Amino acid sequence: MKLLQNKVAELFENGTINLMIGFKEALTKQPVPCFIEKASEIEQLIYTKDCKNNLSVYLHKPEVKQAGKIGILANIATLRALVQLTSENQFWDIEKTVLTVNDKEEVIVFSDMEEVEAYVQANFPEFSEEDLKLLDYLESLSREDRWKYWTEQFSACIKCYACRAVCPMCYCPQCTVECNQPQWIKTSAQTTGNLEWHIMRAMHLAGRCINCGECGRICPVGIPVHLLTVKMNQDLFKEFGTKSGFALKGDYALNSFKPDDKEGFIK
Amino acid sequence: MEIKTITSANIPVFFNNLVKSGKVVVAPVLKKSGKVFFESVQSYDQVSTDYIQTAFSAKSVVFPEVEELFSYTKKEDGDFEFRNDMSNVPETVIWGLRPCDSSAFNYLTDFFLKENPDTYFKLRKERTTLISVSCAKADAACFCTSVGLNPGNVTGSDILLTAMGDSYYVEISTEKGKSVIDTALFTDSTEKSKEEFLAKVETKFSMDEIRERIQTAYDSAEWKHESMGCLGCGACAFSCPTCTCFDIQDEGSQESGKRLRCWDACGFGQFTRHASGHNPKSNQTARRRQRLMHKFKYSVENFGIVSCVGCGRCIRVCPAHLNIFENILNVTKA
Repeated sequence: MKLLQNKVAELFENGTINLMIGFKEALTKQPVPCFIEKASEIEQLIYTKDCKNNLSVYLHKPEVKQAGKIGILANIATLRALVQLTSENQFWDIEKTVLTVNDKEEVIVFSDMEEVEAYVQANFPEFSEEDLKLLDYLESLSREDRWKYWTEQFSACIKCYACRAVCPMCYCPQCTVECNQPQWIKTSAQTTGNLEWHIMRAMHLAGRCINCGECGRICPVGIPVHLLTVKMNQDLFKEFGTKSGFALKGDYALNSFKPDDKEGFIK
Repeated sequence: MEIKTITSANIPVFFNNLVKSGKVVVAPVLKKSGKVFFESVQSYDQVSTDYIQTAFSAKSVVFPEVEELFSYTKKEDGDFEFRNDMSNVPETVIWGLRPCDSSAFNYLTDFFLKENPDTYFKLRKERTTLISVSCAKADAACFCTSVGLNPGNVTGSDILLTAMGDSYYVEISTEKGKSVIDTALFTDSTEKSKEEFLAKVETKFSMDEIRERIQTAYDSAEWKHESMGCLGCGACAFSCPTCTCFDIQDEGSQESGKRLRCWDACGFGQFTRHASGHNPKSNQTARRRQRLMHKFKYSVENFGIVSCVGCGRCIRVCPAHLNIFENILNVTKA
């Protein structure tokens, strides 16, 4: 911990950063996101295996961007998100310094995104076993039962949009659900509108989702909503060989066209 | 107030009799996700007894996520037929809500009925009976004792049950409570005090100090830092037992449709956005401040009560783990 704190103190001292996004221990003992603006607050900084939040989502937030020079303590999911977001040209207006703590508890300060990309590719995470198990179970169901499963899950959704809020890939300034002239998707929290919302979200994230699982982890109702995009990522890898959050120049399948595409329908 | 006793063995009988009487009984149920939710149950076997707090409050019984205000259909003569049938709202018992939640019903009642009584809420509230269960356990997010409540307060409940080993201490506060009591199952209480059976909830702040300092907290420089983690979702507002903001939505066509009242949340960027595009609460700092100031200052000015009951749901549910009592302490620092 001390190593990490010293490194961050150094970054503040030499003017590399003026805001550090990291983790601290809350009164409830969980690691929670923290925002360090002064050297005197560095002592609260921690990093453990339980630091699950994908902090890259904060780099879209105006109050955070204002700081200009931002340090971010990243777990592997956050690093993947940073790679994906860079490939989508999202960081043109901030200077960021990326830190991580590796398995040997060494603190790494990346000097550029190419280094982050190399680290991500060397430590690329597998799909989580738990997710794969549930996906296998869902695959084993008939189409009707699978539809029933999701209809039941989504009928409980209350449209708090926490899944959207925690998602680093959901950065549209105006979301489709917020368009009301015309209104594409019903905003009341009822089954049809809920299904429309989650299908729309999953489609927009197809091949862009970096499998951090935050949306499923934080859903107040407990819907495993992340499985939709995990499944899409699996399929896209099978069909196109693409991996999200893997390469800085990565094209995601739904956004690229190749003249030699084996499918004829698009020509 | 009437005090009675019921044996623990008779609690399921009492509960199942409520169901048999034809009332809808809403009680805490443990779901596969590990979270406990209020839902309509048929038998006491389904009821969870081992929980600190349900994921959501029971406010949806009287203030549903989506309330149909009316529906309309275009008739052949071109005129419209409007329907608003509330006659089928069932008599409902909410079982197992915590004392903080039952207190929240007092605030909800003030909010919806004090000025311009809301007919929808009024009818639902009239047909709802609250049978609360005192807290034997608390967690680090609980702070009812900081906002003037406690794990065994009777405020808002029709009946409050407190588990005392092999029996329950029963406090009946209202006529409505009396009317659901099955006299054969209850005997006069000989117990003196329920205190030792209640959870110990640490006091996080003193309301006396806050009340004074919150008056000038609007200008605190701490708001920006305190709300830095806020991502602008509605999880805190939707899980809160006293959040009452709503949005009116029309769904349908020119031929037929309905007007709905849907929960809304002050954390959403659209919450205060005007038709012109101007937004007086244009950033998350302003929105978080609104939420906290409403709970601790504005509702005191409007209704004379702090509208935070210390249930801790917003802390447990927040994706960024924002902590309302930490926030309040920091923005009211001397």
